[in-house]
Amino acid sequence: MTVANPLSEATEAVIAAGGEALNSCYQCGLCTAICPWNLVRSFTTRKLIHQTQLGLVELENEEIWLCATCGDCVEHCPRKVEIIDIVRALRRIGTQWGAIPKSLKAAITSLAAMGNPWGEAREQRADWAQGLGVKTFTPDTEFLFFPCCTPAYDPRARRIALATVSILKKAGIDFGILGPEENCCGESIRKVGEEELFQSLAQANIEAFKRHGVHKILVSSPHCYHTFKNEYPALGGDFEVIHSTQLLAELIQEGRIKPVKALGKKVAYHDPCYLGRHNKIYEEPRRVLQSIPGLELIELPDSHEDSLCCGGGGGRIWMDTKKGERLSDLRIGQALEVGAEVLAVACPYCLLNFDDSLLSMEEEGLPEIRDVAELVDGAI
Amino acid sequence: MKTEIERRIGVYVCHCGSNIADTVDVKEVAGFAASLRGVVVARDYMFMCSDPGQELVGNDIREYKLNRVVVASCSPLMHERTFRRVCRDAGLNPYLFEMANIREQCSWVHDDGATEKAKELVRAAVMRVYYHEPLEVMEVPVNPNILIVGGGIAGIQAALDIANAGYKVYLVEREPSIGGHMIQLDETFPTLDCSACILTPKMSDVGSHPNIELLTYSEVEDVSGYIGNFKVKIRKKARYVDEAKCTGCGLCFEACPVVMKSEFDLGLAERKAIYISFPQAVPNKAVIDRREERPCKAACMDACPIHTNVPGYLKLIAEGKFKEAYKLIRATNPLPSTCGRVCYAPCEEACNRGQLDEPLAIRDLKRFAADQVDIDELEVPQITKTGIRVAIIGSGPAGLAAANDLALEGHEVTMFEALPEAGGMLRYGIPEYRLPKTILGSEIDYIRRLGVEIRTGVQVGKDVSLVEIKNNFQAVFIATGAHGGMRLGVEREDLPGVMEGISFLRGVNLGDEIKVGKKVAVIGGGNTAIDCARTAKRLGGEDVRIVYRRSRAEMPASAEEVAAVEKEGIKIDFLTAPERFIPGSGKLSKMECIRMKLGELDASGRPRPIPITGSEFTIPVDTVIAALGQVPETEFIQELGLSLGKGGTIEIDSQTGATGLEGVFAGGDVVSGPASVIDAIAAGKKAACSISRYLSGEPGGGEEEKAEPEKLSEEEIKGLKSRFSPQGRLEMEEEPVMKRVGDFREVTSGYTREEAISEASRCLAGQIEGCIECHECQKYCEPGAINYAMQDEIIEAEVGSIILATGYQQFDPSVISQYGYGRYDNVITGLEFERLSNAAGPTNGEIHLKNGQKPESVAIIHCVGSRDKNFHEYCSRVCCMYALKFAHLIKEKTNAQVYQMYIDMRCFGEGYEEFYERVTQEGVKFIRGKVSRVTDRALSDEEKGKLVVCVEDTLLSSFIRVPVDMVILCSALEPRADVEAVARLFSIGRRADGFFMERHVKLDPITTMNDGVFIAGCCESPKDIPDTVAQAKAAASEALSLLARGKVEIEPIVASVDEEVCSGCGLCEKVCPYGALSLVSPEGIMEVNRALCKGCGACAATCPSGAISLSHFTYRQILDEVEALTY
Repeated sequence: MTVANPLSEATEAVIAAGGEALNSCYQCGLCTAICPWNLVRSFTTRKLIHQTQLGLVELENEEIWLCATCGDCVEHCPRKVEIIDIVRALRRIGTQWGAIPKSLKAAITSLAAMGNPWGEAREQRADWAQGLGVKTFTPDTEFLFFPCCTPAYDPRARRIALATVSILKKAGIDFGILGPEENCCGESIRKVGEEELFQSLAQANIEAFKRHGVHKILVSSPHCYHTFKNEYPALGGDFEVIHSTQLLAELIQEGRIKPVKALGKKVAYHDPCYLGRHNKIYEEPRRVLQSIPGLELIELPDSHEDSLCCGGGGGRIWMDTKKGERLSDLRIGQALEVGAEVLAVACPYCLLNFDDSLLSMEEEGLPEIRDVAELVDGAI
Repeated sequence: MKTEIERRIGVYVCHCGSNIADTVDVKEVAGFAASLRGVVVARDYMFMCSDPGQELVGNDIREYKLNRVVVASCSPLMHERTFRRVCRDAGLNPYLFEMANIREQCSWVHDDGATEKAKELVRAAVMRVYYHEPLEVMEVPVNPNILIVGGGIAGIQAALDIANAGYKVYLVEREPSIGGHMIQLDETFPTLDCSACILTPKMSDVGSHPNIELLTYSEVEDVSGYIGNFKVKIRKKARYVDEAKCTGCGLCFEACPVVMKSEFDLGLAERKAIYISFPQAVPNKAVIDRREERPCKAACMDACPIHTNVPGYLKLIAEGKFKEAYKLIRATNPLPSTCGRVCYAPCEEACNRGQLDEPLAIRDLKRFAADQVDIDELEVPQITKTGIRVAIIGSGPAGLAAANDLALEGHEVTMFEALPEAGGMLRYGIPEYRLPKTILGSEIDYIRRLGVEIRTGVQVGKDVSLVEIKNNFQAVFIATGAHGGMRLGVEREDLPGVMEGISFLRGVNLGDEIKVGKKVAVIGGGNTAIDCARTAKRLGGEDVRIVYRRSRAEMPASAEEVAAVEKEGIKIDFLTAPERFIPGSGKLSKMECIRMKLGELDASGRPRPIPITGSEFTIPVDTVIAALGQVPETEFIQELGLSLGKGGTIEIDSQTGATGLEGVFAGGDVVSGPASVIDAIAAGKKAACSISRYLSGEPGGGEEEKAEPEKLSEEEIKGLKSRFSPQGRLEMEEEPVMKRVGDFREVTSGYTREEAISEASRCLAGQIEGCIECHECQKYCEPGAINYAMQDEIIEAEVGSIILATGYQQFDPSVISQYGYGRYDNVITGLEFERLSNAAGPTNGEIHLKNGQKPESVAIIHCVGSRDKNFHEYCSRVCCMYALKFAHLIKEKTNAQVYQMYIDMRCFGEGYEEFYERVTQEGVKFIRGKVSRVTDRALSDEEKGKLVVCVEDTLLSSFIRVPVDMVILCSALEPRADVEAVARLFSIGRRADGFFMERHVKLDPITTMNDGVFIAGCCESPKDIPDTVAQAKAAASEALSLLARGKVEIEPIVASVDEEVCSGCGLCEKVCPYGALSLVSPEGIMEVNRALCKGCGACAATCPSGAISLSHFTYRQILDEVEALTY
């Protein structure tokens, strides 16, 4: 017989680490039933919470690192339990105890040393913009364009930044970048439980933004958007934050850019978790896409509030996911099902994950993955 | 100046066990109080509200001669009344008491500083009570009547209890019947007795109880007054059915063409616009669901000479009820097939859809309806014979219409027709291609089957004398039409090849061999001219033309006919008239014509054609048909000595159709001169009506005058355009021109079913919600209960108390999109299942899927919208139990596999747990977990065609997918949509969950913050039937106990006016929500009605001169209290 006595100290530790929501849970299991992981493998969110309630959770268990913080469970939880906070608290304790997946360690080291998770040099952060005539932000510049570490360094994701710059120039928007003075926004590393690292990255950014007189920040990544908008204010960083799809919608509505080149394709839009569920931005990207002549916008089976996560949030972007367990593969499958020729995204993580999925898929008629900004730049 | 009496204040600080004493140093507070001005004694005690605590205060009042008391304890809501009573019992005016709340507003909400705050609150109370004055309670009598709002089980039970106690109850129910949600339920848990079986006896008791005034289809609109003396205004909505006359027979529903979703059956069944919600309704009286006026004003009906119910039959066609449509038409029109082809359709000209896009194709739809019926198979109604004999001379439309109506009255009708077959102009004037003889024949045969004898080939005046007829029949109707042709009056009209139009048509219709040449000219511009031209074309005329002396605009023929004639290659020479006919080799060879111009208007209102001198020209012709018009041939009536009018017509009394000779009536073309078929039918019907009256000795004439068709204003058209999207008129298929002119086949082929439904659906009257005012019900209602003129009625009642039992509504689960309600056919709500399973429901109690099959597996999802912070946080309390009941019923009726997806089972009542066990014994599967979604996306073969329920079985810690055929959502009980307005109307509060707030959740769950207003049932919180009945009985008992007391005390906290200062400006009167202030003339001074005043203070705050003060809340009292707090 195995006997397990409830460990109230363990529970209290989780609560102290930010998991106050724990005690609200009444164990209905909706979180498990809604969690996308259960489409590819077993993951009982509810059980993890119950184990935590009783102090019986095993921190070595890989399950605490699975959550992609997509927020679907939180959105529908009947007790409005902040499940992501509980997961974050568990990971925080896990990292303190050294129970951290290896792949994450590299990202942590890189972030701490170079301000980006990709092991790239800080000095090269503005290299992507070479030859584009992009100026360094000055106090009288309107927008700070903050491209996110991924477009800044990743050769594929870079095209998002390039497309955005091209559009901004055509629309005559006054913008600049901070290059080496930018740090990773820290959103995902915070979800990993590295609270201190997040704090230092955030502080560095806030100081840099303030030093340069930044008021408005344009971002390409919903993750940057989320933390700048919802988490930085508590740390003293109050800025106006706008996601590229929001700005594009505005520019098109005001007639400052005009998509004229037809794209005779069926395009499905994938709602990124951090743009959609976390920040309720669903319509602007669709409006932007619909303004492109000839483009037929279609919906994926799971869309809007019910969007299926690409699997890249919550630090999962730095972790390996076994083939056969990739949510991005399922999502491409949904795109195939509805006959999408292009799968439009609005998040660099989604872009990378879907592109990765394509490499290992052999079905006919696979869609191409394009950021909304790329599609717009091609049409104006 | 008054001498101030010495203040002797006692202060009592309560520990409330540890509730206060744990955080407040009560001894310190008491010590502090002792130091305050006027305080002679200050104590602390464990429980001030306990008997010893109360005694302590009482004894001190006597011993220390206290004249003011302060108790620092809980909220005044709890114990103000207690301590006021203690003061009164000890001989102190109860209003010389003040309470300091140091529990809810102090000890419970503070840790640090609670003692300091308690001291300040006590100081404030002491400073306030210093200026309290003795006030006298006022007593008023209680009105013995009681108002109950809501006729569900709670309202029914409370009404019966009170009525049985001998008091009058006004029971107001919004719906047409009482019964509430309970009457919709199938069997009730846990005893499984049928809901209707146990409720209907109570409903019927309510309906017949002498002490209950049942006001259904009514709503309370206004409430004023106060406990014991409320005044309420109740709007009794117009039912348009006289409840005193209606017998509930239901004939009207059958007649009504408007099909609507039944609210009672949650849209699973249909009802009509006139309906009774369910068979056991109380009262069992019909109601007309009349929501708006017909936007088009049904101008078609007014335009029709026989007032045909056009919106009614179009609606029936749109509903696919073709035979019913035919019957509706035939109810007023004995010749639907004929009119569906040849009527000139004044209705279409009037149709106000024409102002939006195009008028409805009313005539073509009439033809469609008639074509769907085999007239030869149509049943004949039972007719009671009168034995009275009526003769009709002439079997054209007027004669046939009169014969039809008189035969239906039971009279023995004999018709005399000179020509070989019946039908008059319909048969001998209208060509076959417009009206096939077989169709006309069938319609005439039907009239024969009503008992009408038609003697054809009998010419009155020749074969039988009119006098003989007059002597053998009690009444005679002359409708011989206008069959005489008119001469042109042109030189050489006698030439062979020149024919008269009406004789030409008659000859062709008789089957005589009539030849026309290759070049045919038809003279005239009426429909007869058109018929002649088209007939001539079909007889082989190659170059057929119409010669008309005026222009196109003046042509009497319908535009449609003119278009048809031109389509068939027939040319029209306008402004042309024949001058003479020129022979060539003994027959007609040329016609000399002259051009005309239009001059002044002539007597007919048309411009007079004036020949243009010198414009003569000739055209080669070999046949000329002169179709100038017809005249009646009335020589035969002269034997009766009747006088003739202009053009040989018979003169009649325009009201009755009676000629100068008693018992002899006339109508149709023989009276009016040549007119249309429908005018002739109208004349025949009018005559029949007059003859019937004449025969029964009643005075008066035919049908009443009808209204003129109304056009719409620009504004109204704009409104319609924003509401209805344009949709053009659907034209019938026509035979190809080349083919059709070769023979006499019918030109148009009629609508298909789909076309007819689509065209009929354009009718604007038919597109409104509810009654389209076709008045069909009125015709079928034997007791004459239908009253369209009925108005809403306002009933004013005076009552002593009010019980609100307004119930709940079911949460709309379509909001939870992932459950697919509204998207998947077989995802239904609990209430829908109740109807499905109910033996009196839309499926007669059979549980089946939308496709009619029995389900093999059913999932019941608990807590849909309940226990969920996204929707309703509370538990709806009844779902676990009814879910178990559903499982039992499904097992019993279908033997399907049943899954319960639950979170916690709550089975707490009498026999409930036992029922839970019983259902588990029946093999129902319990899966503990909240469902995340219901989907039809199959991942495996066994999921194909099923609804897949996704859930974590939390006891297995496994995510599972359960494929089922049917999903039942246990949807939450929620406050009604208008709960806020109702709460405001009755001045009661609501809790955060939206339901009405009780005075105390445990100890006073019936009364509200508004004295005299009680609540019972689900309007207070979700509850099952036993709890509802208990609460209803409790509410009745509260109301009755008020009556037993006979009088109520009115708080003396009221406004008073300083007459010296009041300027009579009237501002206070405007702000008083209770109407307690009124200006006393002539001085112009405001007076307060103490019974109405609630002491809210709005007037005092408004008064610009400070003339109004509120007792117990004087400026001095408030300012000192505030000063103490801001010290």
